[in-house]
Amino acid sequence: MPHQCTNCGKTFDDGSKEMLSGCPDCGGNKFQFRPKRATQTERDSTESASTPRAVSPSQPSDDDQPTTERTEGTEQSDRSGVTGTAAKAGASVREWVGNRTSNPDETDEATDTPASDDVTIEPTDDPSDEPQSVSAADDASERPAEGESADLDSSDTPDSIDSVDSIENTEDRAQASARSDVVTPEELSAAEQRPTPEQPSDADGTVVEPKSDDRPDLSDLREELNDQFESIKILNPGQYELNLMELYDRDEYIISLREDGRYVIEVPDRWQNTGRDE
Amino acid sequence: MGLLTELRDSISRVTDRLFSASEPKRIGIYGPPNAGKTTLANRIARDWTGDAVGPESHIPHETRRARRKENVTIERNGRTVTIDVVDTPGVTTKVDYNEFLEHDMEKDDAIRRSREATEGVAEAMHWLREDVDGVIYVLDSSTDPFTQVNTMLIGIIESQDLPVLILANKVDLEDSNIQRIANAFPQHETIPLSALEGDNMDEVYDKIAEYFG
Repeated sequence: MPHQCTNCGKTFDDGSKEMLSGCPDCGGNKFQFRPKRATQTERDSTESASTPRAVSPSQPSDDDQPTTERTEGTEQSDRSGVTGTAAKAGASVREWVGNRTSNPDETDEATDTPASDDVTIEPTDDPSDEPQSVSAADDASERPAEGESADLDSSDTPDSIDSVDSIENTEDRAQASARSDVVTPEELSAAEQRPTPEQPSDADGTVVEPKSDDRPDLSDLREELNDQFESIKILNPGQYELNLMELYDRDEYIISLREDGRYVIEVPDRWQNTGRDE
Repeated sequence: MGLLTELRDSISRVTDRLFSASEPKRIGIYGPPNAGKTTLANRIARDWTGDAVGPESHIPHETRRARRKENVTIERNGRTVTIDVVDTPGVTTKVDYNEFLEHDMEKDDAIRRSREATEGVAEAMHWLREDVDGVIYVLDSSTDPFTQVNTMLIGIIESQDLPVLILANKVDLEDSNIQRIANAFPQHETIPLSALEGDNMDEVYDKIAEYFG
Protein backbone atom coordinates (compact mmCIF):
# COMPACT_ATOMS: atom_id res chain seq x y z
CA MET A 1 0.00 0.00 0.00
CA PRO A 2 2.39 2.64 -1.11
CA HIS A 3 -0.06 5.50 -1.41
CA GLN A 4 -2.03 6.86 1.46
CA CYS A 5 -4.54 9.67 1.45
CA THR A 6 -3.21 12.28 3.87
CA ASN A 7 -6.73 13.32 4.65
CA CYS A 8 -8.56 10.16 5.59
CA GLY A 9 -5.72 7.66 5.61
CA LYS A 10 -7.16 5.41 2.93
CA THR A 11 -4.47 3.42 1.20
CA PHE A 12 -4.06 2.59 -2.44
CA ASP A 13 -1.98 0.22 -4.45
CA ASP A 14 0.86 1.63 -6.37
CA GLY A 15 -0.41 3.20 -9.56
CA SER A 16 -4.01 2.84 -8.59
CA LYS A 17 -6.17 4.70 -11.04
CA GLU A 18 -8.78 5.75 -8.54
CA MET A 19 -6.31 8.13 -6.99
CA LEU A 20 -6.15 10.11 -10.20
CA SER A 21 -9.62 11.42 -9.56
CA GLY A 22 -8.95 12.16 -5.92
CA CYS A 23 -9.58 9.99 -2.94
CA PRO A 24 -12.91 8.27 -3.52
CA ASP A 25 -13.66 8.41 0.18
CA CYS A 26 -13.02 11.96 1.16
CA GLY A 27 -12.19 13.67 -2.12
CA GLY A 28 -8.73 14.57 -0.85
CA ASN A 29 -6.04 15.03 -3.45
CA LYS A 30 -2.97 14.78 -1.27
CA PHE A 31 -1.37 11.40 -1.00
CA GLN A 32 1.83 10.34 0.56
CA PHE A 33 3.99 7.68 -0.90
CA ARG A 34 4.88 4.93 1.54
CA PRO A 35 6.95 2.17 0.04
CA LYS A 36 6.79 -0.96 2.10
CA ARG A 37 10.44 -0.95 2.98
CA ALA A 38 10.36 2.69 3.98
CA THR A 39 7.58 2.15 6.46
CA GLN A 40 9.65 -0.54 8.06
CA THR A 41 12.73 1.64 8.22
CA GLU A 42 10.71 4.45 9.60
CA ARG A 43 10.17 2.58 12.78
CA ASP A 44 13.83 1.68 13.08
CA SER A 45 15.17 5.11 12.40
CA THR A 46 13.04 7.28 14.63
CA GLU A 47 16.07 8.18 16.73
CA SER A 48 17.87 9.56 13.74
CA ALA A 49 14.84 11.46 12.62
CA SER A 50 16.18 14.75 13.87
CA THR A 51 19.61 14.60 12.39
CA PRO A 52 20.41 17.14 9.75
CA ARG A 53 20.34 14.42 7.19
CA ALA A 54 16.69 13.88 7.81
CA VAL A 55 16.10 17.46 6.83
CA SER A 56 17.39 16.98 3.35
CA PRO A 57 15.20 19.21 1.23
CA SER A 58 15.94 17.10 -1.78
CA GLN A 59 13.57 14.47 -0.54
CA PRO A 60 11.84 13.36 -3.68
CA SER A 61 8.15 13.24 -3.34
CA ASP A 62 6.18 11.27 -5.82
CA ASP A 63 2.97 12.58 -4.46
CA ASP A 64 1.66 15.71 -3.02
CA GLN A 65 3.30 17.22 -0.01
CA PRO A 66 1.94 17.02 3.47
CA THR A 67 0.19 19.81 5.20
CA THR A 68 2.05 22.53 7.03
CA GLU A 69 0.36 21.72 10.29
CA ARG A 70 1.84 18.33 10.22
CA THR A 71 5.32 19.64 9.75
CA GLU A 72 4.89 21.98 12.63
CA GLY A 73 3.68 19.17 14.79
CA THR A 74 6.69 17.07 14.13
CA GLU A 75 8.95 20.01 14.63
CA GLN A 76 7.65 20.43 18.09
CA SER A 77 8.40 16.89 18.95
CA ASP A 78 11.84 17.32 17.46
CA ARG A 79 12.54 20.31 19.61
CA SER A 80 11.40 18.63 22.77
CA GLY A 81 13.33 15.50 22.08
CA VAL A 82 16.65 16.73 20.80
CA THR A 83 18.89 19.42 22.17
CA GLY A 84 21.81 19.21 19.78
CA THR A 85 22.60 22.33 17.81
CA ALA A 86 22.57 20.39 14.60
CA ALA A 87 19.04 19.35 15.25
CA LYS A 88 18.08 22.92 15.98
CA ALA A 89 19.67 24.07 12.80
CA GLY A 90 17.85 21.34 11.02
CA ALA A 91 14.58 22.41 12.50
CA SER A 92 15.07 26.01 11.48
CA VAL A 93 16.03 25.04 7.97
CA ARG A 94 12.96 22.93 7.82
CA GLU A 95 10.94 25.83 9.06
CA TRP A 96 12.49 28.08 6.50
CA VAL A 97 11.89 25.69 3.69
CA GLY A 98 8.37 25.12 4.88
CA ASN A 99 7.60 28.81 5.06
CA ARG A 100 9.29 29.64 1.87
CA THR A 101 7.91 27.08 -0.48
CA SER A 102 4.72 26.19 1.27
CA ASN A 103 5.30 22.62 0.35
CA PRO A 104 7.27 21.83 3.41
CA ASP A 105 9.65 18.99 3.53
CA GLU A 106 7.87 16.06 4.96
CA THR A 107 9.39 15.45 8.30
CA ASP A 108 7.62 12.21 8.77
CA GLU A 109 8.68 11.18 5.37
CA ALA A 110 12.14 12.50 6.03
CA THR A 111 12.64 9.39 8.03
CA ASP A 112 11.98 7.58 4.83
CA THR A 113 14.80 9.31 3.07
CA PRO A 114 17.41 6.72 3.88
CA ALA A 115 15.09 4.10 2.62
CA SER A 116 14.42 5.82 -0.65
CA ASP A 117 18.11 6.43 -1.09
CA ASP A 118 18.81 2.77 -0.77
CA VAL A 119 16.10 1.91 -3.09
CA THR A 120 17.72 2.87 -6.35
CA ILE A 121 17.19 0.15 -8.83
CA GLU A 122 20.29 -1.32 -10.31
CA PRO A 123 19.94 -1.85 -13.99
CA THR A 124 21.94 -5.05 -13.72
CA ASP A 125 19.06 -6.63 -11.92
CA ASP A 126 17.04 -7.68 -14.83
CA PRO A 127 13.58 -7.86 -13.44
CA SER A 128 12.28 -9.85 -16.35
CA ASP A 129 14.66 -12.70 -15.58
CA GLU A 130 14.55 -12.92 -11.88
CA PRO A 131 11.08 -13.38 -10.54
CA GLN A 132 10.18 -16.33 -12.66
CA SER A 133 8.76 -17.95 -9.60
CA VAL A 134 5.89 -15.54 -9.64
CA SER A 135 5.01 -16.57 -13.11
CA ALA A 136 1.27 -16.54 -13.21
CA ALA A 137 0.41 -16.58 -16.86
CA ASP A 138 -1.27 -13.22 -16.89
CA ASP A 139 1.63 -11.71 -14.98
CA ALA A 140 4.05 -12.82 -17.58
CA SER A 141 2.30 -10.76 -20.17
CA GLU A 142 2.95 -7.69 -18.10
CA ARG A 143 6.60 -8.34 -17.47
CA PRO A 144 8.04 -5.75 -19.82
CA ALA A 145 5.80 -3.13 -18.40
CA GLU A 146 6.99 -3.97 -14.95
CA GLY A 147 10.60 -3.51 -15.92
CA GLU A 148 9.72 -0.16 -17.31
CA SER A 149 8.00 0.77 -14.10
CA ALA A 150 11.19 0.22 -12.20
CA ASP A 151 12.86 2.87 -14.31
CA LEU A 152 10.07 5.32 -13.95
CA ASP A 153 9.58 5.00 -10.27
CA SER A 154 12.88 4.18 -8.76
CA SER A 155 11.74 4.27 -5.18
CA ASP A 156 8.60 2.26 -5.29
CA THR A 157 9.67 -1.22 -6.18
CA PRO A 158 12.47 -2.19 -3.86
CA ASP A 159 10.89 -5.33 -2.61
CA SER A 160 9.39 -6.51 -5.81
CA ILE A 161 12.84 -7.32 -7.07
CA ASP A 162 13.89 -9.51 -4.25
CA SER A 163 10.69 -10.91 -2.99
CA VAL A 164 7.56 -10.75 -4.96
CA ASP A 165 4.47 -11.37 -3.02
CA SER A 166 0.87 -11.03 -3.89
CA ILE A 167 0.65 -7.41 -2.82
CA GLU A 168 3.34 -6.32 -5.18
CA ASN A 169 1.74 -8.26 -7.93
CA THR A 170 -1.42 -6.41 -7.36
CA GLU A 171 0.42 -3.16 -7.41
CA ASP A 172 2.24 -3.95 -10.60
CA ARG A 173 -0.97 -4.91 -12.24
CA ALA A 174 -2.51 -1.66 -11.15
CA GLN A 175 0.51 0.21 -12.41
CA ALA A 176 0.48 -1.43 -15.76
CA SER A 177 -3.19 -0.83 -16.05
CA ALA A 178 -2.78 2.80 -15.07
CA ARG A 179 -0.11 3.29 -17.68
CA SER A 180 -2.17 1.84 -20.42
CA ASP A 181 -5.28 3.88 -19.83
CA VAL A 182 -7.02 6.15 -17.41
CA VAL A 183 -10.00 5.19 -15.39
CA THR A 184 -13.20 5.60 -17.28
CA PRO A 185 -16.26 7.22 -15.79
CA GLU A 186 -18.06 3.91 -16.10
CA GLU A 187 -15.38 2.16 -14.12
CA LEU A 188 -15.52 4.79 -11.45
CA SER A 189 -19.27 4.72 -11.13
CA ALA A 190 -19.23 0.96 -11.15
CA ALA A 191 -16.68 1.05 -8.40
CA GLU A 192 -18.71 3.54 -6.47
CA GLN A 193 -21.76 1.32 -6.50
CA ARG A 194 -19.82 -1.61 -5.19
CA PRO A 195 -19.83 -1.57 -1.41
CA THR A 196 -16.32 -2.15 -0.18
CA PRO A 197 -14.74 -2.73 3.17
CA GLU A 198 -12.41 -0.26 4.84
CA GLN A 199 -9.31 -2.18 3.89
CA PRO A 200 -8.04 -2.07 0.36
CA SER A 201 -9.28 -4.91 -1.68
CA ASP A 202 -6.70 -6.80 -3.62
CA ALA A 203 -8.52 -6.85 -6.88
CA ASP A 204 -7.35 -3.82 -8.75
CA GLY A 205 -6.72 -1.42 -5.95
CA THR A 206 -10.31 -0.33 -6.24
CA VAL A 207 -11.29 0.91 -2.85
CA VAL A 208 -14.21 3.13 -3.47
CA GLU A 209 -16.98 3.99 -1.14
CA PRO A 210 -20.17 5.58 -2.36
CA LYS A 211 -19.69 9.28 -2.40
CA SER A 212 -21.25 11.64 -4.84
CA ASP A 213 -20.20 14.98 -3.39
CA ASP A 214 -18.33 17.49 -5.46
CA ARG A 215 -14.70 17.73 -4.66
CA PRO A 216 -14.48 19.93 -1.61
CA ASP A 217 -11.06 21.33 -2.46
CA LEU A 218 -12.28 23.41 -5.35
CA SER A 219 -13.24 26.28 -3.12
CA ASP A 220 -9.90 26.06 -1.35
CA LEU A 221 -8.14 26.09 -4.65
CA ARG A 222 -10.14 29.07 -5.76
CA GLU A 223 -9.22 30.88 -2.60
CA GLU A 224 -5.60 30.07 -3.10
CA LEU A 225 -5.71 31.45 -6.62
CA ASN A 226 -7.43 34.57 -5.41
CA ASP A 227 -4.67 35.06 -2.91
CA GLN A 228 -2.12 34.98 -5.64
CA PHE A 229 -3.29 37.83 -7.80
CA GLU A 230 -2.13 41.30 -7.15
CA SER A 231 -4.32 43.90 -5.64
CA ILE A 232 -6.92 44.31 -8.35
CA LYS A 233 -7.91 41.74 -10.92
CA ILE A 234 -9.93 42.95 -13.88
CA LEU A 235 -12.21 40.13 -14.96
CA ASN A 236 -14.04 42.19 -17.56
CA PRO A 237 -14.71 45.87 -17.98
CA GLY A 238 -16.72 46.79 -14.93
CA GLN A 239 -15.98 43.53 -13.11
CA TYR A 240 -13.23 43.47 -10.57
CA GLU A 241 -11.88 41.25 -7.86
CA LEU A 242 -9.93 42.89 -5.11
CA ASN A 243 -7.27 41.49 -2.88
CA LEU A 244 -7.76 43.55 0.24
CA MET A 245 -4.60 42.43 1.99
CA GLU A 246 -2.57 43.30 -1.06
CA LEU A 247 -4.22 46.70 -1.33
CA TYR A 248 -3.59 47.28 2.31
CA ASP A 249 0.01 46.12 2.23
CA ARG A 250 1.31 48.07 -0.70
CA ASP A 251 3.09 51.36 -0.27
CA GLU A 252 1.74 53.02 -3.35
CA TYR A 253 -1.94 53.18 -3.94
CA ILE A 254 -4.02 52.89 -7.04
CA ILE A 255 -5.89 56.09 -7.63
CA SER A 256 -7.25 55.51 -11.09
CA LEU A 257 -8.00 52.47 -13.22
CA ARG A 258 -7.98 52.76 -16.98
CA GLU A 259 -10.08 50.87 -19.46
CA ASP A 260 -7.07 49.18 -21.01
CA GLY A 261 -6.00 47.59 -17.77
CA ARG A 262 -3.43 50.24 -16.93
CA TYR A 263 -3.73 52.20 -13.76
CA VAL A 264 -2.38 55.30 -12.13
CA ILE A 265 -0.73 55.02 -8.79
CA GLU A 266 0.26 57.51 -6.20
CA VAL A 267 3.70 56.81 -4.88
CA PRO A 268 4.47 57.35 -1.25
CA ASP A 269 6.17 60.56 -0.19
CA ARG A 270 9.34 58.84 0.80
CA TRP A 271 9.86 57.64 -2.76
CA GLN A 272 9.94 61.14 -4.14
CA ASN A 273 10.95 63.46 -1.34
CA THR A 274 14.67 63.36 -1.88
CA GLY A 275 15.72 66.95 -1.50
CA ARG A 276 12.31 68.21 -0.64
CA ASP A 277 13.36 69.03 2.86
CA GLU A 278 16.60 70.61 1.87
CA MET B 1 0.91 95.70 11.10
CA GLY B 2 2.82 92.60 10.13
CA LEU B 3 4.00 92.35 13.68
CA LEU B 4 0.44 92.56 14.91
CA THR B 5 -0.84 89.74 12.72
CA GLU B 6 2.11 87.66 13.68
CA LEU B 7 1.36 88.29 17.33
CA ARG B 8 -2.28 87.44 16.80
CA ASP B 9 -1.38 84.26 14.99
CA SER B 10 0.89 83.14 17.72
CA ILE B 11 -1.71 83.89 20.36
CA SER B 12 -4.32 81.90 18.47
CA ARG B 13 -1.87 79.05 18.14
CA VAL B 14 -1.38 79.06 21.87
CA THR B 15 -5.10 79.14 22.55
CA ASP B 16 -5.67 76.38 20.01
CA ARG B 17 -3.21 74.27 21.84
CA LEU B 18 -4.85 75.09 25.15
CA PHE B 19 -8.28 74.09 24.06
CA SER B 20 -7.50 71.03 22.07
CA ALA B 21 -4.69 69.11 23.60
CA SER B 22 -3.56 67.75 20.27
CA GLU B 23 -4.45 67.54 16.61
CA PRO B 24 -7.96 66.25 16.09
CA LYS B 25 -7.95 62.51 15.69
CA ARG B 26 -8.86 61.25 12.29
CA ILE B 27 -11.61 58.70 12.62
CA GLY B 28 -12.38 56.53 9.62
CA ILE B 29 -15.90 55.26 9.11
CA TYR B 30 -15.43 51.83 7.61
CA GLY B 31 -17.62 48.93 6.63
CA PRO B 32 -19.08 47.02 3.71
CA PRO B 33 -21.09 48.81 1.01
CA ASN B 34 -24.57 49.97 1.97
CA ALA B 35 -24.02 49.63 5.71
CA GLY B 36 -24.99 53.26 6.25
CA LYS B 37 -21.57 54.83 6.61
CA THR B 38 -22.45 58.04 4.80
CA THR B 39 -25.76 58.29 6.57
CA LEU B 40 -23.89 58.08 9.87
CA ALA B 41 -21.21 60.54 8.75
CA ASN B 42 -23.89 62.98 7.69
CA ARG B 43 -25.75 62.50 10.94
CA ILE B 44 -22.61 63.21 12.97
CA ALA B 45 -21.62 66.16 10.81
CA ARG B 46 -25.10 67.68 10.82
CA ASP B 47 -25.51 67.23 14.55
CA TRP B 48 -22.26 69.00 15.38
CA THR B 49 -21.40 71.27 12.45
CA GLY B 50 -24.62 71.76 10.55
CA ASP B 51 -23.17 70.51 7.25
CA ALA B 52 -23.42 67.20 5.49
CA VAL B 53 -20.51 65.09 4.30
CA GLY B 54 -21.87 63.62 1.10
CA PRO B 55 -24.88 62.23 -0.72
CA GLU B 56 -26.54 59.09 0.61
CA SER B 57 -28.07 56.44 -1.57
CA HIS B 58 -29.61 53.01 -1.34
CA ILE B 59 -27.53 52.02 -4.37
CA PRO B 60 -24.28 50.45 -3.19
CA HIS B 61 -21.01 52.27 -3.76
CA GLU B 62 -22.54 55.74 -3.75
CA THR B 63 -19.42 56.90 -1.93
CA ARG B 64 -16.49 56.21 -4.20
CA ARG B 65 -14.02 58.67 -2.78
CA ALA B 66 -13.16 59.14 0.84
CA ARG B 67 -14.71 62.34 2.14
CA ARG B 68 -13.53 64.18 5.16
CA LYS B 69 -15.28 66.47 7.55
CA GLU B 70 -12.71 68.20 9.68
CA ASN B 71 -12.93 69.54 13.18
CA VAL B 72 -16.16 67.97 14.26
CA THR B 73 -16.36 68.95 17.91
CA ILE B 74 -18.56 66.70 19.99
CA GLU B 75 -19.56 67.79 23.48
CA ARG B 76 -20.09 65.13 26.09
CA ASN B 77 -20.58 65.67 29.80
CA GLY B 78 -18.86 69.03 29.78
CA ARG B 79 -15.89 67.76 27.78
CA THR B 80 -15.30 68.28 24.12
CA VAL B 81 -13.77 65.88 21.65
CA THR B 82 -12.67 67.13 18.26
CA ILE B 83 -12.33 64.60 15.46
CA ASP B 84 -11.95 64.58 11.71
CA VAL B 85 -14.57 62.26 10.31
CA VAL B 86 -13.49 60.35 7.20
CA ASP B 87 -16.32 58.69 5.33
CA THR B 88 -14.80 55.91 3.24
CA PRO B 89 -16.10 53.91 0.29
CA GLY B 90 -17.59 50.54 1.18
CA VAL B 91 -15.01 47.79 1.20
CA THR B 92 -15.68 44.65 -0.79
CA THR B 93 -13.74 41.95 -2.59
CA LYS B 94 -15.88 41.94 -5.72
CA VAL B 95 -17.34 44.75 -7.77
CA ASP B 96 -19.61 43.92 -10.66
CA TYR B 97 -21.42 46.47 -12.79
CA ASN B 98 -24.34 44.06 -13.20
CA GLU B 99 -25.25 44.88 -9.63
CA PHE B 100 -25.91 48.48 -10.66
CA LEU B 101 -27.96 47.55 -13.70
CA GLU B 102 -30.65 46.38 -11.30
CA HIS B 103 -30.95 49.99 -10.16
CA ASP B 104 -32.00 51.25 -13.57
CA MET B 105 -28.58 52.39 -14.57
CA GLU B 106 -27.23 52.48 -18.11
CA LYS B 107 -24.51 49.96 -18.78
CA ASP B 108 -21.83 52.58 -19.41
CA ASP B 109 -22.70 54.35 -16.19
CA ALA B 110 -22.73 51.07 -14.32
CA ILE B 111 -19.29 50.16 -15.64
CA ARG B 112 -17.93 53.56 -14.71
CA ARG B 113 -19.45 53.33 -11.27
CA SER B 114 -17.94 49.93 -10.88
CA ARG B 115 -14.50 51.19 -11.80
CA GLU B 116 -14.77 54.12 -9.45
CA ALA B 117 -16.00 51.88 -6.68
CA THR B 118 -12.94 49.69 -7.14
CA GLU B 119 -10.70 52.72 -6.94
CA GLY B 120 -12.64 53.70 -3.84
CA VAL B 121 -11.87 50.40 -2.13
CA ALA B 122 -8.19 50.88 -2.92
CA GLU B 123 -8.36 54.32 -1.41
CA ALA B 124 -10.17 53.12 1.68
CA MET B 125 -7.58 50.42 2.28
CA HIS B 126 -4.84 52.97 1.78
CA TRP B 127 -6.37 55.32 4.33
CA LEU B 128 -6.68 52.51 6.77
CA ARG B 129 -2.99 51.90 6.61
CA GLU B 130 -1.73 55.44 6.57
CA ASP B 131 -4.16 57.98 7.78
CA VAL B 132 -6.61 57.02 10.48
CA ASP B 133 -6.23 57.14 14.24
CA GLY B 134 -9.39 55.22 15.01
CA VAL B 135 -12.20 53.40 13.27
CA ILE B 136 -15.95 53.45 13.49
CA TYR B 137 -16.95 50.16 11.89
CA VAL B 138 -20.50 50.26 10.59
CA LEU B 139 -22.48 47.11 9.90
CA ASP B 140 -25.98 46.64 8.59
CA SER B 141 -27.52 44.67 11.47
CA SER B 142 -30.06 43.10 9.13
CA THR B 143 -27.36 41.23 7.23
CA ASP B 144 -24.92 38.49 8.12
CA PRO B 145 -21.76 39.94 9.66
CA PHE B 146 -19.71 36.78 9.15
CA THR B 147 -18.06 37.81 5.92
CA GLN B 148 -14.54 37.69 4.63
CA VAL B 149 -14.44 41.48 4.33
CA ASN B 150 -15.54 42.10 7.91
CA THR B 151 -13.21 39.52 9.34
CA MET B 152 -10.28 40.81 7.35
CA LEU B 153 -10.88 44.48 8.09
CA ILE B 154 -11.45 43.98 11.79
CA GLY B 155 -8.32 41.84 11.81
CA ILE B 156 -6.30 44.60 10.16
CA ILE B 157 -7.70 47.20 12.52
CA GLU B 158 -6.83 45.05 15.51
CA SER B 159 -3.36 44.39 14.20
CA GLN B 160 -2.84 48.14 13.95
CA ASP B 161 -4.00 48.57 17.53
CA LEU B 162 -6.50 51.17 16.40
CA PRO B 163 -9.39 51.90 18.72
CA VAL B 164 -12.52 50.58 17.03
CA LEU B 165 -16.17 51.13 17.74
CA ILE B 166 -18.53 48.61 16.16
CA LEU B 167 -21.93 49.99 15.27
CA ALA B 168 -24.90 47.78 14.49
CA ASN B 169 -26.76 50.11 12.18
CA LYS B 170 -30.28 49.94 10.75
CA VAL B 171 -31.94 48.76 13.95
CA ASP B 172 -35.11 50.30 12.55
CA LEU B 173 -35.33 47.43 10.07
CA GLU B 174 -37.43 44.43 10.91
CA ASP B 175 -34.67 41.88 10.25
CA SER B 176 -32.20 43.71 12.42
CA ASN B 177 -30.29 41.35 14.69
CA ILE B 178 -27.91 43.11 17.04
CA GLN B 179 -26.93 39.97 18.88
CA ARG B 180 -25.64 38.39 15.70
CA ILE B 181 -23.17 41.24 15.33
CA ALA B 182 -22.18 41.10 18.97
CA ASN B 183 -21.54 37.38 18.51
CA ALA B 184 -19.44 37.96 15.43
CA PHE B 185 -17.08 40.32 17.23
CA PRO B 186 -17.26 39.36 20.88
CA GLN B 187 -13.95 41.06 21.59
CA HIS B 188 -15.53 44.45 20.88
CA GLU B 189 -18.44 46.37 22.21
CA THR B 190 -21.38 46.61 19.81
CA ILE B 191 -23.52 49.74 19.84
CA PRO B 192 -26.93 49.54 18.17
CA LEU B 193 -28.26 52.55 16.30
CA SER B 194 -30.25 53.78 13.39
CA ALA B 195 -28.27 56.51 11.71
CA LEU B 196 -31.21 57.16 9.43
CA GLU B 197 -33.72 57.64 12.23
CA GLY B 198 -31.24 59.04 14.72
CA ASP B 199 -31.99 56.28 17.22
CA ASN B 200 -29.52 55.83 20.07
CA MET B 201 -27.17 58.52 18.79
CA ASP B 202 -26.56 59.72 22.33
CA GLU B 203 -24.87 56.49 23.22
CA VAL B 204 -22.91 56.60 19.96
CA TYR B 205 -21.57 60.05 20.87
CA ASP B 206 -20.77 58.90 24.40
CA LYS B 207 -18.75 56.06 22.98
CA ILE B 208 -17.03 58.24 20.40
CA ALA B 209 -15.93 60.54 23.20
CA GLU B 210 -14.84 57.59 25.29
CA TYR B 211 -12.94 55.76 22.54
CA PHE B 212 -11.45 58.64 20.61
CA GLY B 213 -11.27 61.45 23.12
